[in-house]
Amino acid sequence: MSEKSIDNTKKKNSVRKCIVWMLILILVPATLIVSWKYGNRRYYLTSVLVIVYSILAFVISFESRKPQAREIVTIAVMSALSVAARAAFAMVPFFKPSTAIIMITGIAMGPEAGFLTGAACALVSNFLFGQGPWTPWQMFAYGIAGVIMGALAKTGVVSEKKKLLTSVIGFVCVMLIVGPILDTCSLFTMSTEISKVSVTGIYMAGIPVNAVHSAATFLTLLLFCRPLAEKLERIKIKYGMMDGEQ
Amino acid sequence: MTNKDSFTEYHPIINFMFFIGAIVCGMFYIHPYFVGVSVFCAAAYLITVRGTKAFSILAGMCGVFIVISIINPIFNTNGEHVLCQLFGRPYTLEALLYGMTLAGMMVSILLWFVSYQTVMTSDKFLYLFGGLSPAFSLVLTMILRLVPNYQKKIMQISEIRKSIGKSAGDGTLRQKTEHGITVLSVTTTWALEGGIVMADSMQSRGYGCGKRSRFSIYRMGNGDKLLLILMTLLLTITLVCGAKGMASITFAPTIQMHGSTMVRIGGLIVYMLFLMLPTMINIKENVTWHILRSKI
Repeated sequence: MSEKSIDNTKKKNSVRKCIVWMLILILVPATLIVSWKYGNRRYYLTSVLVIVYSILAFVISFESRKPQAREIVTIAVMSALSVAARAAFAMVPFFKPSTAIIMITGIAMGPEAGFLTGAACALVSNFLFGQGPWTPWQMFAYGIAGVIMGALAKTGVVSEKKKLLTSVIGFVCVMLIVGPILDTCSLFTMSTEISKVSVTGIYMAGIPVNAVHSAATFLTLLLFCRPLAEKLERIKIKYGMMDGEQ
Repeated sequence: MTNKDSFTEYHPIINFMFFIGAIVCGMFYIHPYFVGVSVFCAAAYLITVRGTKAFSILAGMCGVFIVISIINPIFNTNGEHVLCQLFGRPYTLEALLYGMTLAGMMVSILLWFVSYQTVMTSDKFLYLFGGLSPAFSLVLTMILRLVPNYQKKIMQISEIRKSIGKSAGDGTLRQKTEHGITVLSVTTTWALEGGIVMADSMQSRGYGCGKRSRFSIYRMGNGDKLLLILMTLLLTITLVCGAKGMASITFAPTIQMHGSTMVRIGGLIVYMLFLMLPTMINIKENVTWHILRSKI
């Protein structure tokens, strides 16, 4: 491809992306208003709609960019690894390395790939372990983990070289963002009334679970971030991947 | 009796439409009668799908039901009939009934999802939504194929490492974690290299040239069309009934229903017919099968 045509497709992509996000910006408040006024404030349904829009936005912008085979395969490989990774820690109770793997994918391959890896990982592991009202929430929460780390890596805050800082940020991210998003799902599905008592009750009950989850993410990032990022880097160099894109 | 789920064999659109209808109605229809019907139908269908295995799931759901019903009045003190004082807060009859209804809703939705899991397999899901996003559905298909592959590889590597005393089960917790990371690391290298081979192979076979076509083994037969029409009809009546407020109720401060009883009962019957469709199909097929077999 000549430089000009690459430039052109890049421009087209950014225009498309803008359109998609503009649509989201209109759809989300519209849904909120409609549900507030007419829908009897159905918290679960409204929130799921909003979540579905955001997942769709990522999927559409991925689709419209006409991804290359290697990009598709890398995302699939990383998601499959994060689903399968639990098997390597069968003897370590409560150890879930998937969030960390999603985060590392975000760091190495950018926020968009991070989101897709997270969302795909959640969707597929629910195919295997049981779909439920939690599926969209999990897709969103894990996707967001990839986006945050990807965005931070883009601005240079985290990188595979700053091992400790990355792990700490990963810990905070799970504790304060991913965990609470999942707790909000249980709040909307399980709790009967949104009141101060039920809200504090659900979020307090979530703290130990989130702490274990964050600790596992912290450990995996600390031990695995560098080797995995190096592997991804090596693959990029060895096979000349991803240089014409993005 | 053999348990063969015949509803699964209908077109994926029908399967998906049924579950979406059942789950969304289950979330919206808060009237206890409607909730009860939903729980009953979900349980009946689950029994026809899973056979005796369904009973342990149902027992678990009873637990969920009881816990949520009892807990609700602790958080929610609305209502006029106070049963007792708990932690200095009133424990009201209305809140208890409300809790039971919400617990029923939750149980019915979870039960529908358990059946959904067995009926809507990943291939049907990808068939329905693959057209909307070919690239993302390709990613999902690949993951579904890769996960068992990687799990097997992880097991193989762990087995080999066991012979040098470094399997995932050896040593202290710290060592176990480190061994796990090593296994994961080895698998990752292997997986990424394999991925590149896969991508190159896709490229050389022409991935990305032209529109993606899809393979599917599903076709819409006459039986499917008939069921689709019937289902749409029943679902529409149910939705109209719901929109008229037949399936709503107020719990606080006192229990109040709106609308006429006759219309409500009519709506309830239609709702039940809709939810019982897959169960009736399964029972009918089972009976036919037994009659045919007894003739031989």
